[in-house]
Amino acid sequence: MIRRWLKKFRRSGGMAEEAIVVDGSRKATGGRAGNRILMMGVMFFCVYGVIAGRLVYYGSHKEEDNGPPPARPTEARPDIVDRNGEILATDIKTASLYAEPRHIVDVDEAIDKLHTVLPDLNYEDTYRKLKSHAGFVWLRRQLTPKQEADILALGVPGLGFRTERKRFYPGGSMAAHILGLVNIDNKGIAGMEKYIDEQGLSILQATGLATQQDLKPFRLSIDARVQHIMHDELTQSMEKYRAIASGGVVLNAKTGEVLAMVSLPDYDPNNPYNALEKDRFNRMSNGVFEMGSTFKTFTTAMALDSGKVHLSDKFDTTHPLHYGRYTIHDYEPKHRWLTVPEIFKYSSNIGTALEAEKVSIEHNQEFLTNLGLLTRMPFELPEVATPQQPKVWKPINQITIAFGHGVATTPLQTAVAGMAILNGGLLIEPTLLPRTQAEADEHTKRVIKASTSQDMKYLFRLNVEQGSGRQANVPGYFIGGKTGTAEKVVNGKYSHTKNFDAFMAGFPIDDPQYIVLVVMDEPKPYGGWPATAGANCAPTVGNIIRRTAPILGVEPEFGHQLGALLISYH
Amino acid sequence: MFRTTDIVLIAVMIGAAAVTYRIKQNAESELEHINRIRTQIRLEHDTINLLQADWSLLTQPKRLQKLVELYQPQLNLQPTTAEQIVTLDQLPMRPVEMPKPDPQAPGQVAENNPDKTVTGSLKK
Repeated sequence: MIRRWLKKFRRSGGMAEEAIVVDGSRKATGGRAGNRILMMGVMFFCVYGVIAGRLVYYGSHKEEDNGPPPARPTEARPDIVDRNGEILATDIKTASLYAEPRHIVDVDEAIDKLHTVLPDLNYEDTYRKLKSHAGFVWLRRQLTPKQEADILALGVPGLGFRTERKRFYPGGSMAAHILGLVNIDNKGIAGMEKYIDEQGLSILQATGLATQQDLKPFRLSIDARVQHIMHDELTQSMEKYRAIASGGVVLNAKTGEVLAMVSLPDYDPNNPYNALEKDRFNRMSNGVFEMGSTFKTFTTAMALDSGKVHLSDKFDTTHPLHYGRYTIHDYEPKHRWLTVPEIFKYSSNIGTALEAEKVSIEHNQEFLTNLGLLTRMPFELPEVATPQQPKVWKPINQITIAFGHGVATTPLQTAVAGMAILNGGLLIEPTLLPRTQAEADEHTKRVIKASTSQDMKYLFRLNVEQGSGRQANVPGYFIGGKTGTAEKVVNGKYSHTKNFDAFMAGFPIDDPQYIVLVVMDEPKPYGGWPATAGANCAPTVGNIIRRTAPILGVEPEFGHQLGALLISYH
Repeated sequence: MFRTTDIVLIAVMIGAAAVTYRIKQNAESELEHINRIRTQIRLEHDTINLLQADWSLLTQPKRLQKLVELYQPQLNLQPTTAEQIVTLDQLPMRPVEMPKPDPQAPGQVAENNPDKTVTGSLKK
């Protein structure tokens, strides 16, 4: 070998002297050079072959389950707070504990130590998990930061945490239908959560600008205390009167803000396994119902507002009304001529139908449309139903709509229309966002004359003092209201046993600050009373007002007598 | 051989290296400090968030109502009724309290010893 090198050296030494030899020397070594090139080639081929083989191996070989799954990127969402800043929904970070059994030295010791922090840890199950040869096992999901810190302090090797962001609703089911839901990626899929996303949060999240610290809390017009009282009272009433569903809403009569809105049965947004059940939808904004006698409010207001009917006018309710094959009866027939206040007080179907007849069908339809009762209501929640009305209004339609049959609207828009009747004649778009009086004025439209509203307030008070709403009365808060008991349509026919009850009230009725509407679906007779609104919805509204009025800052007054309002009687 | 300028330059070089090292070291330790504080801030933020959630959970009207019902015998809390709410101007004026005259004290109206002087308004 050395000799060969020497030879080579000698030859190359000679090259400088004799250029002619160069060619010859190259020829002389030619065969061996080819060998070397081949050797080098094979070497490089082997090395690159190994690398390529390895790449193929890594590419095709599935990595053993060897660590936590990749973190799910959950986007931050703003807190949702009520009008007083109480948290209704917030993001919390939870830590989930996992173990890598291969890295655990002493399984028994590890479990013993974990037991000091998690006393309810299943020993056998955990032992089996840690003894397995799996690369990764979950031990416990969603720990508190305190537990996380304690486990870290134990210093057990092979344990780790993965933090996850989770939406948390401290109130549970209290405001479920208002708040809505988020999906597993923290995206709003229902209620206000969805509304927030539509307002640009999803864009912020997409550009990565939405961080927990930067997001301002999202304030709602809801008052958590009122919301709770509404939820509590409705839950009790539903049980007491064995209704299949109920709902209620409290509106600020001056600004149109929704202070509370409940629909039962509901769901727990923290564990919404049953949220999509057919029965648990938001009845207040997403369910349409024939509101029954509550609609007489609008018929009476229309008749009075048209100037064709006055409070002192009398109508003949001696006999049932016959319209083709339809006969219209009264629930409690008086068999005499009734004045307008009496018709309202006794909730006479015949009387109200006669009042409606004084107005043309076109005007009737236009009036209800103006009140927003026949069109889809603008509202923040995505879940809003469109009311149903007859395609063509025939005279018989006008007659039945007069007492609330033939038109189906959502309870929420009924309350909003009722608010317009009672607050001096101004229709205000309802909202779930806080609103000042000035902002409210921009969403306001006059629908009836102030004097008509004054008359209606008198009728509402009369109904609570002497009529079907007596059980709603709360001394001091001067409530005025109208009951509505509608027969439900079962298999295309009006059922005489299944009712849809409602009670709409305003308080204090001389200048209503708040509107309360409670509806109940199929309540049963209770305590000797029939299943009419006056026996179930009215006392529920009374209870709600009794509990919420001090919170809402409505000053009680005892000086009022009906006479104070009688001035408006003409 | 080394000239003075060489020595000076070497000294300057070593000095500069030392200063650079020091600055770098300081910056690194500061960075580490900042990172530690950042982690701490994040932890605190998370804790605040959690405590807020905890607080709102503890002050839920539903929970408070349950507690009130549970401890009704001790607390005896009742809902406020309309009759209990009164504004200041609805209250009647407080009756004026007259100090009771002391008959013994000098200079007071004598109740037991009517004045002997007879005036025209009195009939004998």
